[in-house]
Amino acid sequence: MILSAKHLKKTYIDSDQVIEVLKDACLDVASGDLICITGKSGSGKSTMLHIMGLLDAPDSGELIMAGKTIEAKSPEAPMIRNRDLGFVFQFHYLIEDLTSTENVALPLLIAGQSEAKAMDRARELLSILGLSERLRRYPNQLSGGEQQRVSLARALANSPKLVLADEPTGNLDPSHSKEVWDLILSLNKGELGQTFVIVTHDVEAAQAADQVFELVNGILIPA
Amino acid sequence: MDKLELFFIKRYLKTPKRNLFRFTFVFMVLGIILSVGILSAGLNLFQGYESNLKSLLLDSFAHIGIQSSYGDLISEVDSASIIDRLSQKRESLSAIPSLECPLLAQKGDKIRAINLRAYDFNREFPYQKYVNGGEGKLQSGEVIVGHYLAEELGLGIGDSIELNYPRFDRITPLGILTAQNNYKIAALYRSGYYESDRSLVISTLEDARALLLLPEGYSKIELRLKDADKAGLFARDYSEELGQDFIPIPWNLYAESLLRLVAMEKWLIFIVFSFLVLIAGINVISAVSTIIIDKSSEIAVLKTLGASHRSIKRLFALRVGAIAILAVVIGQVFGAALSWFVEKQTFYRLKGDVYFIDTLGARITFPNLLVVFLVASFLIFLCVMFPLKQIEKMQIIEVIRHKH
Repeated sequence: MILSAKHLKKTYIDSDQVIEVLKDACLDVASGDLICITGKSGSGKSTMLHIMGLLDAPDSGELIMAGKTIEAKSPEAPMIRNRDLGFVFQFHYLIEDLTSTENVALPLLIAGQSEAKAMDRARELLSILGLSERLRRYPNQLSGGEQQRVSLARALANSPKLVLADEPTGNLDPSHSKEVWDLILSLNKGELGQTFVIVTHDVEAAQAADQVFELVNGILIPA
Repeated sequence: MDKLELFFIKRYLKTPKRNLFRFTFVFMVLGIILSVGILSAGLNLFQGYESNLKSLLLDSFAHIGIQSSYGDLISEVDSASIIDRLSQKRESLSAIPSLECPLLAQKGDKIRAINLRAYDFNREFPYQKYVNGGEGKLQSGEVIVGHYLAEELGLGIGDSIELNYPRFDRITPLGILTAQNNYKIAALYRSGYYESDRSLVISTLEDARALLLLPEGYSKIELRLKDADKAGLFARDYSEELGQDFIPIPWNLYAESLLRLVAMEKWLIFIVFSFLVLIAGINVISAVSTIIIDKSSEIAVLKTLGASHRSIKRLFALRVGAIAILAVVIGQVFGAALSWFVEKQTFYRLKGDVYFIDTLGARITFPNLLVVFLVASFLIFLCVMFPLKQIEKMQIIEVIRHKH
């Protein structure tokens, strides 16, 4: 098991009102899984993903990775995010002042790799994702689909155990959306066998996943 | 410095226009340049004033004046003996006798208190470089007059000036008896030291003695040294050597408090002007805060990818710091240009009666450049680091939610 989320609970206080977004959310992610989490807007899908990615801390419950409990506020959290997890968000969050290659090289540089090696690996990944013609382009010189593919390449840079994607196609038109979904499927089903947990409200696209869960009243139920 | 920081530095230097020279930085950079420029110019001008004043004091007066301990004149024999002994000293440049006396100068109904100094023009005359006009050697019946004094009395070269010596030992029922004589102005004296230029009259020894009714002798022996800063030290040695009949008085006994005051004023101005840099630092705080807000997504991404707070803070500090340091250096160049301009301009002159000298001079020294650079850089560094604390507090999740 790569990651296990056990009995996650998370509440928010909004205008003196306590909103319980996660009540008892549990999820086990095994190597090679492609898991989709769906649910209504505001159901807590993104919160679930952020907690699994150590970007947010649950009120209670625990996350177990390789047999060890991991926490968002622990000193090891940045290292785990860098080496074991990859992130793709609805908005690409690419650094505007860096080229595609440089953006993809960032996790490798943070991990301490030399610039030359990091850039080689970035170029390789971008070529795999069909962007070999866009290596020196800045994010604003790329289409929405290309931006998201660069973002995906960045998530894969350190060969993470798990890629967490939060509405990766939420900001794309149907053709670019399909392009990104196809890419995710090929990365999961292909040689790489990359593990994904994807949050999406696109129920139709989610059907391509191995497991689909719906977040209802703070609990994950198989869809 | 880790790989990420090194990468970003290279990136900034590779495309400075895209990464460094941004509109957000314009007012920050202008503020630093202006404040550092004013600070540098202020220090350069005060340094110039201090140096000019000291140099004029040393050039206009004896470095050590040897006088009789009893207030009377030094005889020809004693004078010759002292000059002979002191001239042989390694540290000595020259030793000449002079006669000095306060008098009154008159032209028509204008009367001014003056200081008459008389020299033997067959010997070396140490103030020749300040004499404008004339034919060099002063003849009997001729005087050199301070140019401000000549101006106040409405006199010029070739005119006649009347010198009066009030004889307080000869009081008659009609008043104090005065000895008086007319002299031709052979040249004007212009040193830049206001007090001398306004009150000095130089004559030959013979003329002075005739006016003052003195048969012989000198009021002091003027000694010049190779290193005037050691005048106090040598004066102590000469005091022992010459015995109790003579007092060697070093120049700094009169002028040291004045120079200390000027030096203190210089550093006070420096402290006051340093506050301008601090005010420019408020611009820096504002610019850095704006950049942090502007780049919150970038910060969140770097945090998500596993970069440490420390590393991200250093990235921003390096980015803004590089521009700020460049602005400090440009500010120093601007300050040097500003002080050069102030030095060269002719529409404003110092009031000599207030500031002792009437010309503004700037002096750029390496220690001053270093002090300005270090102080300005330190203040700017503090102002850069202060807002960077926000990076630690910034929650990734808040930035991502806000973007949604």
